[in-house]
Amino acid sequence: MHDPSRRLPGERLFSLLLVALSLFLFYEATKISGFEGLSAPGSFPMFATGSMVITAVIVALQTVRLPESDEHGWRAILPGFVIFMAVMMIFYALALKPVGFLPTSFVFLLISTKVMMRSSLAKAALISALSLALVYVVFRLIFSVLMPEGIVPEREIIAGMRSILSGGGQ
Amino acid sequence: MKSKLLGAVAALMVATAPALAEYPEKDIQGIIQWGAGGSTDTVMRAVTPHAEEVLGGKVVMQNMTGGVGAIATKYVGAQDADGYTLLMGAENPQLYKVMGLGDTDYSDFTPINIIARGVPLIVANNDAPFNNFKEMVEYVQAHPKEVKFGSTGPGGLPSVVTAMLTSEVELPVTFVPYDGDGPALTALQGGAIDVMPAVLGAAIEGVKAGRMKVIALVDVAANPALPDVAPITVDYPGYEKYLPWGPFFGIFVKNGTPDDVVQKLSAAYGEGVKNAEFVSLIEGRGFTVLNLSGDEARSFLNKWQSVTSWLVFDAGIAKASPEEFGIPRP
Amino acid sequence: MDFAHFFMSWIDLQLLSLVAIGTFAGIYVGAIPGLSVTMAVSILISFTFSWEMYDALSLMIGIYMGGVYGGSRTAILLNIPGAPSAIATAMDGYPLAQKGLAGEAIGLSTTMSAVGGFVGIAVLGFAAPAVSEFALTFQPRDYLLLAVLGILLVGSLSGESLVKGIFAGALGLTIGCVGLDPLTAQERFTFGQIELWGGISFIAVMIGLFGVSEALQQLQHVDSEAVKQVIRRIVPQWSSVVKYLPISMQSSLIGVIIGALPGTGGDIAALMSYDYAKRVTKNPEVPFGQGAKEGLIAPEAANNAAVGGAFVPMLTLGIPGDAVTAIIIGAMFIHGLNPGPMLMIERPEMFWFILGALVLATIFMLIFGLTGIRLFVKIVELPRAVLFPLILLLSIVGAFAVNNSIIDVYFMLGFGVLGYFMKMYGYQIGPVILGVILSRLIDDNWRRAIISDQESLPRLFHGIFTSPLSAVLMIAVILIFVSNTPLWSWGKRKLFPAQP
Repeated sequence: MHDPSRRLPGERLFSLLLVALSLFLFYEATKISGFEGLSAPGSFPMFATGSMVITAVIVALQTVRLPESDEHGWRAILPGFVIFMAVMMIFYALALKPVGFLPTSFVFLLISTKVMMRSSLAKAALISALSLALVYVVFRLIFSVLMPEGIVPEREIIAGMRSILSGGGQ
Repeated sequence: MKSKLLGAVAALMVATAPALAEYPEKDIQGIIQWGAGGSTDTVMRAVTPHAEEVLGGKVVMQNMTGGVGAIATKYVGAQDADGYTLLMGAENPQLYKVMGLGDTDYSDFTPINIIARGVPLIVANNDAPFNNFKEMVEYVQAHPKEVKFGSTGPGGLPSVVTAMLTSEVELPVTFVPYDGDGPALTALQGGAIDVMPAVLGAAIEGVKAGRMKVIALVDVAANPALPDVAPITVDYPGYEKYLPWGPFFGIFVKNGTPDDVVQKLSAAYGEGVKNAEFVSLIEGRGFTVLNLSGDEARSFLNKWQSVTSWLVFDAGIAKASPEEFGIPRP
Repeated sequence: MDFAHFFMSWIDLQLLSLVAIGTFAGIYVGAIPGLSVTMAVSILISFTFSWEMYDALSLMIGIYMGGVYGGSRTAILLNIPGAPSAIATAMDGYPLAQKGLAGEAIGLSTTMSAVGGFVGIAVLGFAAPAVSEFALTFQPRDYLLLAVLGILLVGSLSGESLVKGIFAGALGLTIGCVGLDPLTAQERFTFGQIELWGGISFIAVMIGLFGVSEALQQLQHVDSEAVKQVIRRIVPQWSSVVKYLPISMQSSLIGVIIGALPGTGGDIAALMSYDYAKRVTKNPEVPFGQGAKEGLIAPEAANNAAVGGAFVPMLTLGIPGDAVTAIIIGAMFIHGLNPGPMLMIERPEMFWFILGALVLATIFMLIFGLTGIRLFVKIVELPRAVLFPLILLLSIVGAFAVNNSIIDVYFMLGFGVLGYFMKMYGYQIGPVILGVILSRLIDDNWRRAIISDQESLPRLFHGIFTSPLSAVLMIAVILIFVSNTPLWSWGKRKLFPAQP
């Protein structure tokens, strides 16, 4: 795994980003209530972000001094599949609200399974549909979590189904 | 095979068609402002099944907590005004404007039902060296800053009740903040705080068991749940101008919802609140059933907002003057 | 005869099967990240509205007990804790699974969860009034010290670099501050966004850091074969149960106390007893973090013991010990009871009924836990290309479900990516979650304590050293703090030079 005596590609950048993030958050923390008193709402955030700044700076100084690792390239940090899935998830998150849960999730599962399994489209579609059905039944039907509906009028369909079922039962 | 499938789809369409004509044609979303297990949550989950029976539809209730209810309020305000999203909340939004928590309140919503109102009372740790309101005021004034009052943040019930009290008497106390009356009442029993203004329902069981004592009932009349406690107005008639006052629970839809939908919902919840089981549940917790809708509900909301906004403003804990928002002085 | 109600759920076939169904369902609710016991129980309130109260309670108690245990399943098999209380379980459970010992690990954790469950129930049954009075004596400063004790765990969770561990812990504390300050309604790190007023959901952070980042990490080796699990033994040997019994009993007691304190629950209990086990185990067979069985047993025993603990203040005083008992109190109201200090006097049979149902649920947990393993372990043997997209989907739905908020989904994904890089560059995830869990506890109680002492630090310390409870906690804080610094090993060398 991670070898503390060598610097991985991107590690220096990451440690500097964390310093920047910590400084920014510390600045935000000082704006909450200023140095009003021990019990002010901003005191604890200043303590927490202050600790972040100090430790982030120490880590960054340590990291910069480390010799560069020769055996790992960028590929080791970000293999193709990881980038692929991260991009997929960004698209998923963006599409979830406007398009709705069911279509977005199906496309997400379909593409990721297809690409990673290198299987036929039909097989990937079957697997995706099964997974999605499972998630849908558990979350939407049993736990009543109303995922964004988007373009599928789910609640009308469910109410319709329910009225048919109860109608059939009478 | 294909034709059979199409037939089934067609049948489904036909079967749902008549339902489309009439509200509710799909599940209604009920957004609860407070967390699971709290009093708002309990009240909403207890009344809704009775209302569903009348309504003939299903209300899926969800808790959307945070920002003293502002997140749920904003969410419902952003949905379509079609009556499929209900806001199930407490009194807090009526103070958002003066507390600097945004520019919405219940005037952006149409009340379906104002279900019930709570009665505030002041309780103290059993070891506290005072037994009634008069003694407390004397003790506090003799020992400034020493008595610890529990509070639940600006705009919470303890802050309003304290504002009311300090309008007549001076109370130099230390406020220790808690994130709800439950944790504060727990701390009261452990001696971390001495006095807590709370809603009767939250404190009643502790009082009955002798784990805390009542200092004052902040109402104009004695309460059936605590028949031996005289209302505060007996000794301090000056409070009569604010009372009766108390936190409330209500169900709302966004303004602009069609009238027939509002009518139907109001009728359903009106029936639900009348249900005998529900009434005994809610009165057992020390709440007073109101069951207001329409203009009655609207004028209740306005009066509540005007009294409370000015109270907290005059006590100096508000961030903005009610005048800025056109809230008249009572 | 009120005590007879203890056996009510055992002899009534309907109640018996409701407890069984609840426990079974609870295991799966607990195992799926994003489905929580809190959610399940609050949905059951509406669902069981028209039921008899005993029926409703049986189902809820089953779900509660099963759910707390179920979180360990995915923690061990996938390194993705299904629930916050299983975070500590993953630290040594997952390394065991990687060695192909998942069956044994699950068997052992099941048995010790049951031990913890029974210890919790025994304390509830025999000492509830005393324990709840003790819990009430905790003042804000004691909660503060307890939380500081918790945050010192960063020392145990940091891995290769303590500085990186402290950074991660401080990041967690900061995340926990986001939102409207619950005490003053002041905006903190909200950048003017109302959506952030409620804060960043702790579950969303957990799912992102553990679920998504783990899935991404494992995708690096998408083509490699899953570790083949050898399932020889599931029911642990008697000798190993006996061997680990002391540590599980001690962890259970930590679990009961922390569970009984209003405001702390199974997640903190599990982490603290993990740390405790790490400190008291002198020579583990395998180092902690690489599959030490003590590190698996301690949190599992503690989190199930915390269930019994959470019922202690609830049944004696009507004060919820955690989020789930808070909802059960609501359910009891709806069914016409008045949970409070009078409940034990007016309706003592309720106490015995709940106690009996808890014992029954623990027994079912043991049975279901030990029998379904083969099937469950198959999950990890699924092709990664099927498993990981599904995990990501579950993560997204789960993060949404916590508070029905799309913002939580974005945060979850953001923390997933952050967690991926943190793991890559040698930062541990554990301290971040620890920070998020403890942030409110520290912040709120620090402010309450210092306000109560009129903003005076000398008064606060005077209070700490004049109260026995606070003094004990303070000494523990000092000892653990010193033991994490070089001063300790230096002093130890000086004092005991002969020790190997």
